[in-house]
Amino acid sequence: MFPPLHTFLGRVRSFFRGRSMDREMAEELEFHQEMLRSKYLREGMPADVADSAARKRFGDATRWHERLREVWQFTWLENMARDVRFSARLLWKSPGYTAIALATLALGVGANTAVFSLINGLLLRPLLVPESDRLVVLNYEDSGPHLSYKDGMPQAQYTFCTPFFRGLEKRQDIFANVFAFNPDTLQVRGSSGNENVRGVLVSGQYFSALEVPPLKGRYLTPEDDRPGGSPEGWAVVISEGFWRRWFDGAPDVVGRKLVIANTPFTVVGVMPKSFTGASPVERPEIYAPLEADPIVDAPRDHIHAGTHAWWLSVMARLKPGVTLEQTNAALKTVSSPILHESTDDVGYIQNEEKGHFYFAAEPGSNGFAYVRFLFRKPLVTMFAMCGGILLLACLNLASLLLARGAARERELATRLALGATRTRLVGQLLIESLLLATVGTTLGLASAPIVSHSLATMLAGNSEGMVLDSSLDLRVFGFAALIAVTAAVLIGLVPALRATGGDLNEQIKEGRHAAKARDHGKALPRVLMSSQVALALVLVAGAALLATSLVRLYRSGLGFDPQNVVNIAFSMDKQQLEGDPLMELYRQIGEGLKTQPGVKDVSFQFIVPISHRGWNDNLAAPGGEKHLTWLNSVGPEYFRTMRIPVVEGREFNWNDTKASGMKIILNNAAAKQLFPDGDALGRRIMNPWDKNTYEVVAVVGDAKYRDVRSPAPAAAYVPIQQDLQKKLSLNAVVRVEGPWAPLVQVSRSLASRLAPAIPAPVIQPMDDVVNTSVGTERMMAVLGVFFAACALLVTAIGLYGTLAYATARRTSEIGIRMALGAQRIRVLTMVFRENAWVSATGCGAGLVAAALLSKVLSSFLYETSPRDPLIFGLSVVALASVACAASVLPAIRAALIEPITAIRYE
Amino acid sequence: MIREESTDSGALLQGTLEMLILKALLRGSQHGYAVAEWIHQTSHQLLKVEEGALYPALHRLELRGLLTAEWGVSENKRRAKFYRLTADGRKRLNAESQRWARLSAAVAFVMQAS
Repeated sequence: MFPPLHTFLGRVRSFFRGRSMDREMAEELEFHQEMLRSKYLREGMPADVADSAARKRFGDATRWHERLREVWQFTWLENMARDVRFSARLLWKSPGYTAIALATLALGVGANTAVFSLINGLLLRPLLVPESDRLVVLNYEDSGPHLSYKDGMPQAQYTFCTPFFRGLEKRQDIFANVFAFNPDTLQVRGSSGNENVRGVLVSGQYFSALEVPPLKGRYLTPEDDRPGGSPEGWAVVISEGFWRRWFDGAPDVVGRKLVIANTPFTVVGVMPKSFTGASPVERPEIYAPLEADPIVDAPRDHIHAGTHAWWLSVMARLKPGVTLEQTNAALKTVSSPILHESTDDVGYIQNEEKGHFYFAAEPGSNGFAYVRFLFRKPLVTMFAMCGGILLLACLNLASLLLARGAARERELATRLALGATRTRLVGQLLIESLLLATVGTTLGLASAPIVSHSLATMLAGNSEGMVLDSSLDLRVFGFAALIAVTAAVLIGLVPALRATGGDLNEQIKEGRHAAKARDHGKALPRVLMSSQVALALVLVAGAALLATSLVRLYRSGLGFDPQNVVNIAFSMDKQQLEGDPLMELYRQIGEGLKTQPGVKDVSFQFIVPISHRGWNDNLAAPGGEKHLTWLNSVGPEYFRTMRIPVVEGREFNWNDTKASGMKIILNNAAAKQLFPDGDALGRRIMNPWDKNTYEVVAVVGDAKYRDVRSPAPAAAYVPIQQDLQKKLSLNAVVRVEGPWAPLVQVSRSLASRLAPAIPAPVIQPMDDVVNTSVGTERMMAVLGVFFAACALLVTAIGLYGTLAYATARRTSEIGIRMALGAQRIRVLTMVFRENAWVSATGCGAGLVAAALLSKVLSSFLYETSPRDPLIFGLSVVALASVACAASVLPAIRAALIEPITAIRYE
Repeated sequence: MIREESTDSGALLQGTLEMLILKALLRGSQHGYAVAEWIHQTSHQLLKVEEGALYPALHRLELRGLLTAEWGVSENKRRAKFYRLTADGRKRLNAESQRWARLSAAVAFVMQAS
């Protein structure tokens, strides 16, 4: 056999049978010694002389034994094992240092892994479909009525109207498949009335483009996506989870009926669990044909609304071998024809063409998710913050290890003098940091799922039906491992080389010696600590900006009082009642709620403020200019319930029916806009589009409408009884005293008694609505403060640790100084000055960096300048006080040194 | 894998010692003591193999597959580890003795030059 291989295998074998090999070696050596002894006896020696002669001749048995063992060992492996044991012992012996190092590392790695998991789930992970790299997301450049600019450039739009999509679908030569979808909530009839089920409306080629075979039955085809469905009627595909939950996993599920929005649909297939659809953050349970929209979304109809309903996400699968560029070129040529056949509205077409309208495709292997556009920036910012924390942790560890290495210089020098090679010593130090990194990473990794999960919950907030997959996968593990190795090399190499780099003799002679020059080799640790302080300042300033902005956002005043208010949403769109009988139903619901204990006021509203939903129209005073005004339908006593002040006039009441003439209430902004001459009460206004006229019955205070960030707009309120929608779904607004939880059961039983056909009402406290509205800002602020606290803690530990080590090494120098007459207070300031210098330079550098970097945050800030001098100043104060606190203990310890003890120490 | 290191016996290079061990085992399987004794006797008491060099050499040869070892009973009825040449070991011995012959001849030429 090939000798090296034989050797290798022999060593591997010996590795696993170490103990029995040891025994055999001992026996073999013993046998030899025994033979020697009997030889001496044969030669005529007396027994005891022979014994000692044999022993003498043979020498130290254990030494031979050791050498035999070496033959069979992997030298490097054994050395490493020894180093690991040695390092572990060393680390164990300084638990404080080890704990600090592990905690900082675990924090850095844990936070990073958690955020990376989220980024991975949201931005990087490809859809689990065959050849996902051929999927593209479609968009169009638009500067028409849906104009949106970003940094002065027209922004791509991702929401399509039906004619655009159908136009693309008709042109079969561009893509292998093109498909559209829209997540939706479907009302499915269960044993007790209708239930809301998360679903998605999909176009005909959806499933054939995603190429995932169904678990059972078939998937939807273009045949199903026709008005009225296929000749066999409407069809749906359900998810595996829904099949198990709703049909108890019945094997004959294909062919069974589901009643959705009071219309029978036939289940034609079941999709496997691994299939998540084309969006990574939704888990639809029912896939229904796009053309069923007028039924499932009744009374709305996005199909026939043409270019007035923008509701579809469009994706496509590229033809095999066709590049994205070729596809985009083809898309450009069809853009104008599709625009022209989409609508008869000439003005609209001209407007779009002026804005160079065209379709484009972009890579979409990880599917389409609106939240991706929403969260990309906060997540990436978070990631940068995490990176900052990790860097901080590494810097901290490096300076700690550096200080430790310096304290161990003498030991290392002695080991070098005793014959250890430099490689071996550096190796051992590297192993020490590798050990720290491994344990720290493992700790971080263990805590990552928790952090990641809570982050996902915070991000998703109350967004309905959103599922953020934050599970850790191989990529995340790889990432964490990469961090660990980088950290180990980063942390280990510099101190290791430095500690072994000095002149051997000098170091042995010096040791703790007082003669050691004061500034010898101080530059590197100082630079490290200063950059740490700078980094911490950047993080603290960033967090302070975010937190201030959030506080200002909360304090900005909504115009109504969200506390102790809950919204209860009733979906009335699929039941029988409409018009006045429906209003009577609402009145009964309102009365039912009002009699509950703890309920103070009850009213109704169509649009929940701050929920990012809206409805607007043009209004004008007779003969006046028309103004865009936000609208809402509200019930009697609405303004009292919401605590919106009524400036003049009266609230709506149940007598404001359609027959009593159209009424309207304006807020201050709207009143000023429509009647600049003042006094709006009792005047009439007109909607120039439908020529309806309204009588102004009150003027109320301004309240924020769609979101917290924009100031209160001009708004007008109409009574719910006069709303033009026939089957109005309203939210009951209930102001309570005490807990609102009992209302869940109350509203359910009210609904099932008064309107058995509707799904269970959904209850949501107004506070939650506000929190969700500022969700991104809140998450960033909370995390930012968390990171800043970590940064401060890590910096404090680092400053304390290095100074403590450095001072301990100078014990004898300080002792001599004091023996020579230095006062304690001078010693105190001398030690203190070390960190003061570090903190000052660090803060200076940090301020510059923060000023440069804070611009990134400006899009998250509300009424806060990214360079707010007060915030920056306070951040510096915070860091300075932390640095002071960290330096006090070592300084006091130095000042308390007894000269005699210190000098005697040598 | 073969390193020429000076052993504790000083004069005897490792490679040479290994060659001698292989040679000693050519006559049949032997335990370590017998190998040392044979070399001592055969060299007219000129070569004395130190235990500290002998056993590592034996184990190295075993590890490289030039020897195999098994436990047997010695002439004085004790358990002992017996080494035996493998085919590779024979080949190796052949090559080594040729090399040695050339080397010693060459050294002799040089030393005999006048």
